[in-house]
Amino acid sequence: MKTKPCLTLDDCKKIGAAAEAEARKNKWNVTIAILDDGGHLLWLERMDGATPANAEIAIEKGRSAAVSRRSTKTWEDRIAGGRTAMLKMPVLPIQGGVPIMVQNECVGAVGVSGVQSHEDEQIANTGIAALG
Amino acid sequence: MKLKTVLTTAVLGAAFAAPGVGLAQQKPAQNPLDVIPEKMPFDIPSGTSITLDRAQAAIAAVMAEAKKRDWRMNIAVVGPSGRLVAFARMDGAQRASINIAEHKARTAALYRRETKVFENAVQQGNLLYILTLDDVIASRGGIPLVEGGKLIGGIGCSGGTGSQDEAVCKVGAATINK
Repeated sequence: MKTKPCLTLDDCKKIGAAAEAEARKNKWNVTIAILDDGGHLLWLERMDGATPANAEIAIEKGRSAAVSRRSTKTWEDRIAGGRTAMLKMPVLPIQGGVPIMVQNECVGAVGVSGVQSHEDEQIANTGIAALG
Repeated sequence: MKLKTVLTTAVLGAAFAAPGVGLAQQKPAQNPLDVIPEKMPFDIPSGTSITLDRAQAAIAAVMAEAKKRDWRMNIAVVGPSGRLVAFARMDGAQRASINIAEHKARTAALYRRETKVFENAVQQGNLLYILTLDDVIASRGGIPLVEGGKLIGGIGCSGGTGSQDEAVCKVGAATINK
């Protein structure tokens, strides 16, 4: 039987704290969502000043990255590159969702929403990097 | 196929017969839903959204209580808009309850009442029409967060029985509701 690592709540808090610190450093108010490999929400925080819509978008970016095991930027890029039919795929193709890879396995994803898409992704990457 | 036809006839037959019997034998009882109360129910004005710090403090309080009882819960806190402010899933908590926790928090905030009110209406009041209202969840464990008479959000817990969910949810709500 194959075994794979699995995110704990402590892992989520570690990722979330680093992501939040990156956002605060830049004075960005965002929502940070962390999901497991099935796209189920494990942890979320909406910083004061982030909009109610950010909460939904962050989850959807994270879910998309988790279940497709690739960043939502790759989806956005392919559609922007002319593959318009991919708009019908069941994912949110907007940068800011990043899969969490551990030992070559996707264990979940981080989705961020609130600032420009590349900044959202920067926050997500910083959070994931804290996992070590 | 044959069985289905028989059942349909039986059900329709009963539906047609019932009103006739009622009219002939007794005066229809007054419908309690026809009563018009003087005041609006659960008339709580909206305030500004709960802050992240306080939402996380409420979740921490729930998790501490759940840990004490060796329960695994999903806990959601929403603002007056019904959208998430903070969420946490304790390790091992039932996955189906992730959405249920959020739903309970949202319903408590948007309807400005505990989800237990809906549970009671359906379960004890037999008011099944409640289930046709938008975004209702008729299960206890969702509590509105009210401060200074204003609604600042809602908290929802799910993972165990409704009674377990409510027990820990109350601990989280108590960090705001005085």
